[in-house]
Amino acid sequence: MLSSTAVMNEPRSRLADYIAMVIVFLMGLGAVMVFSAGANLGYEFDLRRFYAFPALRQIMFFPIAVIVLLVASAIDYRWLRLRDRWWKSAPVWLVFVSIVLLVVVLIPQLGTEINQARRWLRLTIGPVSISFQPSELAKWSMAFGLAAVCARSEPHARRYWTWFVPLCGLIGLVCGLIVVEDFGTAAFVALISFVILMIAGVRWWHMLTLVPFAGAGVVAGLLRSPHRIKRLLAFLQPEKWPDVVYQANQSLIAIGSGGVWGKGLGEGISKYGHLPEDTTDFVFAVVGEELGMVGTIGVIGLFVLFICLSWVVVMRCRDRFGRLLAAGIVLTIGIQAALNIGVVTVVLPTKGIPLPFISSGGTSMLLSAAAVGVLLNIASQTDQGDPESPADTGDDMHA
Amino acid sequence: MGTKEAGKAALATADSTDARRERIAISVFGVLILCAFLGLGWRCYHLQYASADHYAQLSLRQQCAYLPLEPQRGAILDCRGRVLAASNQIRTVFADPRIIQDPKETANSLASVLDLPAHEICKMILDRAGSRYAPVAVGVEAEQAESARAIEGIGIEYGWQRHYPMGRLAAHVVGYTSVDNRGLGGIEYEFDRELRGEGARHVFFVDVHRRPLSFCVEQKSGDNGMPVNGDGIILTIDATIQQFVREELLKQYKAFEAEAGLAVVADPRSGAILAMVSLPDFEPENFSRTDPNNFLNRVLTDQYEPGSIIKPFTASIALDTGAVNTHETIFCENGHYSGRGFGHIGEYRQGFGDLTLREIIQNSSNIGMAKVGQRVGAERLYEGLTLFGFGKKVGIDLPGEAEGLLRPPSEWTGYSVTRIPFGQEISVTAIQLLRALCMLANGGRLIRPHAIKAVVKPDGSVVDIRPPALRVGYIIKPEVARWIVQDAMTAVVNDGTGKRAKLERWQVFGKTGTAQLAKKDGRGYEERAYVASFMGGAPAEDPRIVVLVSFRRPNYALRKGYTGGTIAAPVAGAIIERTLTYLEGPPKPTPSETVARAR
Repeated sequence: MLSSTAVMNEPRSRLADYIAMVIVFLMGLGAVMVFSAGANLGYEFDLRRFYAFPALRQIMFFPIAVIVLLVASAIDYRWLRLRDRWWKSAPVWLVFVSIVLLVVVLIPQLGTEINQARRWLRLTIGPVSISFQPSELAKWSMAFGLAAVCARSEPHARRYWTWFVPLCGLIGLVCGLIVVEDFGTAAFVALISFVILMIAGVRWWHMLTLVPFAGAGVVAGLLRSPHRIKRLLAFLQPEKWPDVVYQANQSLIAIGSGGVWGKGLGEGISKYGHLPEDTTDFVFAVVGEELGMVGTIGVIGLFVLFICLSWVVVMRCRDRFGRLLAAGIVLTIGIQAALNIGVVTVVLPTKGIPLPFISSGGTSMLLSAAAVGVLLNIASQTDQGDPESPADTGDDMHA
Repeated sequence: MGTKEAGKAALATADSTDARRERIAISVFGVLILCAFLGLGWRCYHLQYASADHYAQLSLRQQCAYLPLEPQRGAILDCRGRVLAASNQIRTVFADPRIIQDPKETANSLASVLDLPAHEICKMILDRAGSRYAPVAVGVEAEQAESARAIEGIGIEYGWQRHYPMGRLAAHVVGYTSVDNRGLGGIEYEFDRELRGEGARHVFFVDVHRRPLSFCVEQKSGDNGMPVNGDGIILTIDATIQQFVREELLKQYKAFEAEAGLAVVADPRSGAILAMVSLPDFEPENFSRTDPNNFLNRVLTDQYEPGSIIKPFTASIALDTGAVNTHETIFCENGHYSGRGFGHIGEYRQGFGDLTLREIIQNSSNIGMAKVGQRVGAERLYEGLTLFGFGKKVGIDLPGEAEGLLRPPSEWTGYSVTRIPFGQEISVTAIQLLRALCMLANGGRLIRPHAIKAVVKPDGSVVDIRPPALRVGYIIKPEVARWIVQDAMTAVVNDGTGKRAKLERWQVFGKTGTAQLAKKDGRGYEERAYVASFMGGAPAEDPRIVVLVSFRRPNYALRKGYTGGTIAAPVAGAIIERTLTYLEGPPKPTPSETVARAR
């Protein structure tokens, strides 16, 4: 074993480097593909409106995201722990800010409507206008917050009324705020939240009591919007709803016509208006069209590689909080990627969930990068394998 | 390290079971996600490998636009290169209302280019608002098209328009075309494949608004992606002769108020058709408002009992088979010939006594011909007529030919062998008669009538497609043919029924025919409904042209006459005179005149 000083001098571990490489590669690929999908003839490049072009904006986000990743990985993840005095705890504030922003975005004067959904906050500072999606922040703050809460509480302390129900109330509140405008993301946040609770060791009969509520929530969500029912019916019987399945069909045509080797980078046709949302939720279809099966299997392979490497981190991590947090981050990214690719390949009904690191969208990109930065920090600290590491002190605090 | 761990042993045991449970839970979720990715990978393999072709097809169908490039249809020329049909490029200026932002401004700039009122253009654009195509002006000049194209939202469409400079003149031979340049009649129809050429199609990927992306996917058919223009066709028809023929025919056609008239001129040595006119005719550029009956090229489509006009052929068969000779006389029963099995045969006007074969033809004696037929016999008569080409299509390179009717001898009755020799119980077309006449005139040599001389390929090479000289030699002995033409048929013109075809400068030979039209139900003949015909040629010693003129149902009530000799013979004479003058030049001065001039 290396001496502790030698390890401390080494800023990050090899495992963390591998994960960083995979993620930076995915982000780079994303920037290239979003640029390719966005650079179509419809635009005349006017540099004064530089920021209005998603393709160019995304290229700018790539280096920023890398910097965010590096900065976040330099900060000790224990900063995200729940402390005895709640007003000093980062996750509490994170969740609080998320809830406030989710409320703000619903106020018609403040939220910005795109595609008939009020999901964005737009801040205009001089010529630059920054759009921000609070639901993305809410997603990560729930993952971080629940990991912190679960790490803090002993398994035997997890009682139904004093522990499980209040947490469910919190999850319900956040998802309830999101579901107003975005059913898919709300369902996804709920899924992630309960996955973390299950990993943390919630009793199974606690979960069972939620089934009626979850069922009622899904039915209510469907009934509120006939459009959702139509989408679902269209997914089950595509030939009856040609207008609804248009996007799905375009996605299949784009991916399928790419073949094994693809049409070549930039040679895709679907991006010229045939495939809606080609730079955002359906960018994977453009990958499939231009880079072929090599590209799609490659992207899937990178996500798989990321999950495997992160799994090693989780398995090695001795700190309970670090383990839960790392698992939350990996599962969030992994499940989101799987859901997005499932939607794009029409295995799942259409839902507006972006592909992490690849889809255009600054909020998602930067927050995902920050989350991976936290994961890298966990990885580097775990890899040192030092029993004197603060992981133990963390346990001591509540012991 | 060891001491510290031991110090927290109790806590560690409880913690480690909990940690292990957590690790297992995380692994379970991790494996689930990996399985999901495995499934998605398989899905991608399925989409992009197994059914890649299906989706490539869908993409071609949905994301492509096609630009058809029409070839230029080949020209049709007469034997001296005069244009009978040709396609000109026609430019249509159209607006794309979906692209045009300000119709008024576009209309204004277009108005100055096209010399059209701006408000009309504006209206045309607004009327088609929302569509992609609003035609503004058809048939503009090349320079106008170029300047119009520069205007935003204005495009030029190129097409072809068929022109027939000679109009009705050779309408039945040349034919006509539909608006989409498909041949519908005559040569245009028969040689549509050659004339049409091969179109090309450029395939573009387009964006969702169907605007072409700048690259071309593939170029289909044609020559290297460009259209191949159609072949030109050179006819044996001579427009000048055609002009003479039509003029003369039309004059008589109107004078006698006939239902239909036809005239054909051919070169008997080759079978080349020099002129072919059928009346009533039509205007090929305005065919849509034509009575469908006028489209009939009656030279090919009308079949009728020929009547006396067939007698020279029967006579030549008789001579050729040796059933009769040119010296003996045949008793013509003074106009009433009847017997068991063939009923009663009468003459047209007066009866005759003893006649030689030449006199039978010259006076057109039915009884004489019936007796000749009886001598020849059914089998040999049928064989001879078949050799002359009756009863089957002549195979001319024009559409719509009828077959005529000549029953095989097994179906003949006692009437047949006495009626067929003077043109009853047999049905023929004009082109069959003309072909048979050619073979008499050229000394019995087999020919095939044809209207096409050559095909001109787009690269300029000329391919001769005249029918090859037939290897079968003579259908009758040359001396028999020569006797029929130079002796019997000249007698018809000089002293017989065809006197009105007689010419000063050339010895004309010929035969008249006045056939009664059979009733539609096939029983007996219509009253006062005739086909008046004359076939002939000149000069008799070495025939250069043969002519067939025929009128269907001349108006009997006019009391001007209805026989072939009255109506058709003078037309044939005029045609022969004008044609031979045209072909041979004005008459050469006789030696005495030359001497007189020299003085």
